[in-house]
Amino acid sequence: MALDFETLLDLYHDMWTIRAFEQGLEREFKKGNVPGMLHIGVGQEATQAAVSAHLNPTDCFFPDHRCHGMFLLAGTPGEKIMAELFGRATGVCSGKGGSLHSADPKVGNFGNNAVEGSMMVTVLGPALAWKMRHEPKVACVMIGDGTVGRGEFHESLNLAQTWKLPVLYACVNNQYAISTWVGASHVSPNIVDIARGYQLPCVQVDGNDIEAAYAATTEAVNYIRAGNGPYFVEYKTYRWQGVFHGEFRPAEEVRHWKEDRDPIRLARQKLLDGGRAQAADLDQIEAGVKAEIERWIDFAMHSPPPDPAKATSDVYAEWEVEPR
Amino acid sequence: MTTTTAPAPAATTTALRSRTFVQAINEALDLLLADDPRVFLLGEDIGRMGGDFGATRGLFDKYGAERVRDTPLSEAAIIGASVGAAMVGMRPVAEIMFADFIATCYDQMVNNAAKVRYMFDGQFSAPIVVRTATGGGFGGGPHHSQSVEGWFMNVPGLVIVAPSTPADAKGLMISSVEHDDPVLFLEHKALYRVKGHVPEGRYTVPLRSAAVARPGRDVTIVAAMKMTHEALAAAEALAQEGIEAEVIDLRTLRPYDAASVLESVRKTGRAVVAAESPKIGGLAAEFSALIAEECFHDLKAPVVRVAGLDTPIPFSLVLEKYILPGKAEIVAGVKKTLA
Repeated sequence: MALDFETLLDLYHDMWTIRAFEQGLEREFKKGNVPGMLHIGVGQEATQAAVSAHLNPTDCFFPDHRCHGMFLLAGTPGEKIMAELFGRATGVCSGKGGSLHSADPKVGNFGNNAVEGSMMVTVLGPALAWKMRHEPKVACVMIGDGTVGRGEFHESLNLAQTWKLPVLYACVNNQYAISTWVGASHVSPNIVDIARGYQLPCVQVDGNDIEAAYAATTEAVNYIRAGNGPYFVEYKTYRWQGVFHGEFRPAEEVRHWKEDRDPIRLARQKLLDGGRAQAADLDQIEAGVKAEIERWIDFAMHSPPPDPAKATSDVYAEWEVEPR
Repeated sequence: MTTTTAPAPAATTTALRSRTFVQAINEALDLLLADDPRVFLLGEDIGRMGGDFGATRGLFDKYGAERVRDTPLSEAAIIGASVGAAMVGMRPVAEIMFADFIATCYDQMVNNAAKVRYMFDGQFSAPIVVRTATGGGFGGGPHHSQSVEGWFMNVPGLVIVAPSTPADAKGLMISSVEHDDPVLFLEHKALYRVKGHVPEGRYTVPLRSAAVARPGRDVTIVAAMKMTHEALAAAEALAQEGIEAEVIDLRTLRPYDAASVLESVRKTGRAVVAAESPKIGGLAAEFSALIAEECFHDLKAPVVRVAGLDTPIPFSLVLEKYILPGKAEIVAGVKKTLA
């Protein structure tokens, strides 16, 4: 399942775009420039790059909790995403959504929902509409392992398979819901074991191996686009950083995933193997991406805050909000 | 798809067409399905069976299983799928069999449907209609009888529609489906078999527009759904004693038509707010606050809330009757404002 050189190089670029974005964002968050909470996806880049590479702007996706990579790779201008996370008027949702509630219909981003798992049922809607209208599109929902505990997870799989809806379930199993290991709170640490009961095709893949993740996604999307119904892919991965409250995972486990299972380092090695790419060229990709992220941060920092009156727009289509 | 505004039921020159409330809703859904390919229905047992109360009867045979879609007992999926379909241009009409069950899809209603337009800065909307059977009085017990409007009164982005007559039910249903925001459409179970004049064909009744169900000069009774009928019965009884009550039928509960309520109260100087839901934090509380805040100096007496007692709905009819308000309680409430 080796990828051709150009595709692998593109994905390498994509993964660095995500990592540099997240690391730049984290730096600014620690400086106090980014309000609210921070959920970044460093360590999970291969999964996002693999999924995103298979979606068209006319498809849709509902991004997960660690979603900035999906926003970016779909094609929303990076500065508009950064500005949104800074709560600025120039953001993709004018500062009303932020990290966990941002959408961009132009690129198929149907928005995330900060209540983990709620999008499991929302994704049924576009899938159902497209099936009824005979539009061969894919509706993708990105979910974490923690989502499996929600009833919506089960309602969705049952209905999608019963109605044969074109849904790609992209389960980003980073193995921990904040502090709780997935295997300690579910019947299996492998989400496919749970999903299989709903009789749709389910596959588990190494989410840190870009080639494996890409190949599994290709197979899933081909199956869905052929009109066969939904498909469940579990990408086993790991988030690098702890959570707000600290680090609850075993130190050796964290070290292993960061040092031995870094998806970018693994991809880099594949590119270098056999002399297909030169280290200097790959370093240049990394440097170029990092420089661009600094421009986005600069754009966000220098963007104006929203007009306070914007807080009352778009509550209703027809009616204004009563003044205080 | 051209629509006209509803003719006043009594003023029509054509022969009176008597239909029940549930038939009126059925007519509206039939017209909407016939006129607009974006419209489809989904819910539990709405297909072959035609719905628990018959609101979708005959529509499965006419429009097929794709557009009149039976679902499993997955309320969150019913509403979630509706929201997602609306985001790509469909006009879903979902049925939640009993309003009490909305607790299982409250997240989708409140965190999703109501916020899609706002949090995504107007780039998406969720024009869904969620029909549900609400209210008590028939021995349904704690989980088939509640009045849930209070659960939603505090949710910006939602529209709550609550008709009391068959003609309004039809016109408001058509308005709700045409409307670009999510609508919670409350159908009081006690009204399903109530008959009234229903104009033929497609027409709309405007949202956020209350109606004067009965004019009067002495006191204003603000009500909705079944309580509008109780208020009218109370007004009839009061008239025997020379007290002329004006009954305002709210029709849309959120966002509401404050002007009509306040205009009436400024005229009468007295107000009773009648609602079936519990007194604390409910419909009666909201309108009582509105009137007190806006009309304090016009009031000749404090506003009286006639509401359900602050209990769950008990099963036994004797117990249920004890806690739910009706004509007698409204009459007593009016007399309190006149004391």
